[in-house]
Amino acid sequence: MSLLRIEKVTKRFGGLVAVDGVTLEVAHGEMMAIVGPNGAGKTTLFNLINGVFFADEGRIWFKDVDVTRYPAYRRAHLGIGRTFQIPRPFGHATVRENIAIGAMFGAAGRELTVGRSMEMADHYIRLIGLEAHRDKPAAVLTSVEKKLLEIARALAMKPRLLLMDEAMAGMNPKDVDQMVAFIKRIRNEEGIAIVALVEHIMRAVAGLAERVLVMHQGAKLVDEPTKVALSDPRVIEVYLGRPPGEVHAQG
Amino acid sequence: MERVTRYLPAVPVLLAYLLLFAFGLLVPGKWQLVSQIAFFCALGQAFNLFMGMTGYVDFGYVAFLGVGTYGMALPISMLADKGLGAGTIVIGLVLSVVMAVLLSLAVGAVALRLRGAYFAIATIGVNEGFRYLIEGARIWRGSEGIIFSSQLRATLGREAAMSLSTFWADVMVFGVAVLAAMLTLIYLRGKVGYALAAVRMDEDAAKVMGVNVTRYKIIAFISSAALAGLLGATAWALKLTYVYPADVFAIHYTIEAIIIVLLGGAGTLLGPIVGGLIYGLSKYFLAVHLPGFQLIIFAPIIIAIIVLFPEGTVGMIRRRLAGGPLEKYIV
Repeated sequence: MSLLRIEKVTKRFGGLVAVDGVTLEVAHGEMMAIVGPNGAGKTTLFNLINGVFFADEGRIWFKDVDVTRYPAYRRAHLGIGRTFQIPRPFGHATVRENIAIGAMFGAAGRELTVGRSMEMADHYIRLIGLEAHRDKPAAVLTSVEKKLLEIARALAMKPRLLLMDEAMAGMNPKDVDQMVAFIKRIRNEEGIAIVALVEHIMRAVAGLAERVLVMHQGAKLVDEPTKVALSDPRVIEVYLGRPPGEVHAQG
Repeated sequence: MERVTRYLPAVPVLLAYLLLFAFGLLVPGKWQLVSQIAFFCALGQAFNLFMGMTGYVDFGYVAFLGVGTYGMALPISMLADKGLGAGTIVIGLVLSVVMAVLLSLAVGAVALRLRGAYFAIATIGVNEGFRYLIEGARIWRGSEGIIFSSQLRATLGREAAMSLSTFWADVMVFGVAVLAAMLTLIYLRGKVGYALAAVRMDEDAAKVMGVNVTRYKIIAFISSAALAGLLGATAWALKLTYVYPADVFAIHYTIEAIIIVLLGGAGTLLGPIVGGLIYGLSKYFLAVHLPGFQLIIFAPIIIAIIVLFPEGTVGMIRRRLAGGPLEKYIV
């Protein structure tokens, strides 16, 4: 039984087909990446999976529940967590409160009091190593710290599936390696499936994912184990660029 | 221990209302002023429960006070010969809450689907619409209004009716203010507060994190409306013993509520008290010393406070006290 099942999902914005009949399955505890150039429809696909948008066509199942018409908050209750490309912490709230909000309203939120959520937040603060910033407003964190907070907040929701949108964009190689190690660790410790969106950091894809879905112009191009996918000639052409020699000088 | 600390901000609130109440009781000739201020504090406190927590401005808010006033006026005027005594007042209080809640459900079902400025625009005219409905369709005696002072005397007796209108109604207004403040604190410290804080800061991120945004907005909206209903029933119906649609659906009360909340600090617990005090006192002294010039003088004062302290007076005080021992008392 797969955790997430997407069948022929399509989303249009006016005349633009942002996601074009994509079919995808994600197994429990799997770690995969969705890659593709800017505008390939990756983020729209994410928004369809977690309910920010509704699909125009196709169906989505999560834990065998048809969630196609579920609003975002109900999908969160079922166990879909999400981080944003540009971190969106609740800036006036403290680091601790930000994470506690995730716990309070996430998959286990119903049974949690505010006090208990705060205690849980402390666990995730230790996990991301932000103890020193616990009671500071999230707005003062550095951009890497905000990314970590974004992940901690999503983990506190106790998701079964974590959608990570460009968790490593804008990071230097050292930070990317650290982040890859961190994501692997939480995957193993929490036993959750992770789908990461990556635009152009191949270092992250290769280090992180067991499987890669390559998107191009809204459609699925390749869905294969990482090594196979990244050496597929179609992927190299549309995604990594044409082979040397065919590239014309751009001026 | 943390449980207790979380509710410490109730102390300055209760103290402030107690002092105001004692001042009115002990200083001769000041009860009217104090009851006015208590009304403004209660109005701000009830309004703040929704506006302060969600960041949404309901321009039709006075309609909840209006139907609350009718909720008290109707049973008193209709049940005078039933010999229910003080029971009629209890029925009136319950009915005022029920009517305000029903109206808030109707308004909320439409308006709460809208965001920010669109919500504000949708609520403009709820009060006027309701007023013209009552007047035009001649519901509840239409524009003639309901005058029920004789029925109130018949229900409670002359003495009791008199002391109810001149004193106990004001005490009930204090009660509404304290009730609104305590509800605000409970909400602020509970999931409602965190949910709505998240919504205020980033509504889309809140949804993705599992916050049922509509549900928490409705909770705040209904609570705020119910308190407005109680306020109409006490500060207007019981105190004045009459109700005219043109009086109780006047938009300037909504404007006053907005001013009080902004002066004190939206979303803070103490804000409506500070705002109510500043507004009530300045309105009183300007009316006494510079009659006719209140608005001209008041406008720049409001602009100055909003420019100097965008988070309101209490927001500014809280910033000053941050990290200090008093911080945990000020919310």
